[in-house]
Amino acid sequence: MSEVTTPVRIKRLIVESLNLEGMRPEMIEDEAPLFGEGLGLDSVDALELVVALEKEFGIKIKSQEIGREVFSSVSTLSQFIEGRT
Amino acid sequence: MQREEGSRLVAVSGMGAVCGLGWGVDALWEGLRAGRSGIGPFHRFDHSRHRTHLAAEVPESPGPPADLARSLPGWRRLSIADRFALFAAREAVERAGLAFPLEADEAVGVFFGSSTGGMFESELFFADFLRDRRGRLSALASQQVNGPGDAVARHLGVTGPVETLSSACASGALALGAALQAVRAGEVEIAIAGGSDSLCQLTYAGFNALRSVDEVPCRPFRPGRAGMSFGEGAAVLVLEPLERVLARGAEPLAVLAGAGASCDAHHMTAPDPSGAGAAAALADASLPADAIDFVNVHGTGTPLNDAAEWKALQEVFGRRAAEIPLVATKALVGHLLGCSGSLEAVATILCLRHGELHPAPGTDELADPELVDPELVDPDLTTALVVDAPLPFPGARAAVSTSLAFGGSNAALVFSRWEGSPWTDRTA
Repeated sequence: MSEVTTPVRIKRLIVESLNLEGMRPEMIEDEAPLFGEGLGLDSVDALELVVALEKEFGIKIKSQEIGREVFSSVSTLSQFIEGRT
Repeated sequence: MQREEGSRLVAVSGMGAVCGLGWGVDALWEGLRAGRSGIGPFHRFDHSRHRTHLAAEVPESPGPPADLARSLPGWRRLSIADRFALFAAREAVERAGLAFPLEADEAVGVFFGSSTGGMFESELFFADFLRDRRGRLSALASQQVNGPGDAVARHLGVTGPVETLSSACASGALALGAALQAVRAGEVEIAIAGGSDSLCQLTYAGFNALRSVDEVPCRPFRPGRAGMSFGEGAAVLVLEPLERVLARGAEPLAVLAGAGASCDAHHMTAPDPSGAGAAAALADASLPADAIDFVNVHGTGTPLNDAAEWKALQEVFGRRAAEIPLVATKALVGHLLGCSGSLEAVATILCLRHGELHPAPGTDELADPELVDPELVDPDLTTALVVDAPLPFPGARAAVSTSLAFGGSNAALVFSRWEGSPWTDRTA
């Protein structure tokens, strides 16, 4: 059985936990910005995503500065998670 | 409230509505005129454990125009009540012939009524949270009662006063009254005024617990009446100084001639209106009761409300109370709570414009006699309720629409037909 990669798990989580209508995980690009331009998520999404990621991957975002950096794209999120697990 | 001598006459230049009869004013009038009830089985939430199982739910199909969601950023953050409000506001603004969004330099205000705002979405959050200690935070993004009015202001680009009134079931009428005062005073040149409420479990459970809900579609002012039926939706009116509407070559749909309000100071839920609200609205419109051709009643269909409203009508209209035609819009769209006064304002204007009064269904299933308190369902309540078929009334020139709310809050609006000249001036 092939293992699901971290970026794919993150994309699934984004679509499922944020209830993005008409969006499929494979439509999200690894390097695309999550907020503002790109995926266009807002601050409410950020809150929900933090909660969902903490639960799914057991990570802890300790400060806003770290969060801002880590949450810039699926790629940065993935690196952060893999560095912690 | 008493209109100051020489203050500006205020016209309704646009209307929009969504309710159990469908999306848009045309769908509303078509259903009203046919006496078609929008009250039936509904699916918004599980109501199997409640004692009644009916509501006038806004139909999903045909739904709102597909471009509505696309044209409005942040649509997925909006509650159902917000979405209803935006649809009705856009229809009203477009009908008024104004640009959408509005020009930035215009003095525009939003005056809105709502009872529960995003309550339905908050209930989803708490259901999730209580089940697995995790709810969707986004369900709370638009939970506030001012959500619908704020959403309208945001999407229309309104930078003037934006106010939400929440006085239970008088909210929608009180919001129109506030808008009327703001336009008369010159505070705004355009008022986007109305209300919005969606079905939710809190009100459904609450009114059922009070045993104020009929097991069959509500029967306002009928002998067998045993309670209200729930409805949902939004209605929005665009108000402008009459002169402004004429100057820009638009057609006034009606004149909002007056608004009045009063309180019973009596009980949290039981009504005891004296008719003071309607009397104040007539005084504000500078019209005698004799000038009123028909009444769009609050008419919830509860034994208490209709009996109390009947007394109020007798106070205002005297012996004429038994003869003046009564229009009961809630018999077809249910009770839209904080929006009912706004939707019934639209219904009243449609009746004036079409020269016919919409009917309530004529069938009258008798309630279980053991449940009917003869003290409340007065057998001598003999009104000229319009039933079965529309009543042709091309000569109708002015009408009053009443709202009676929990807390004893009463509001009334007086509309007069636009006949190419401001008819209210001639009788003032």
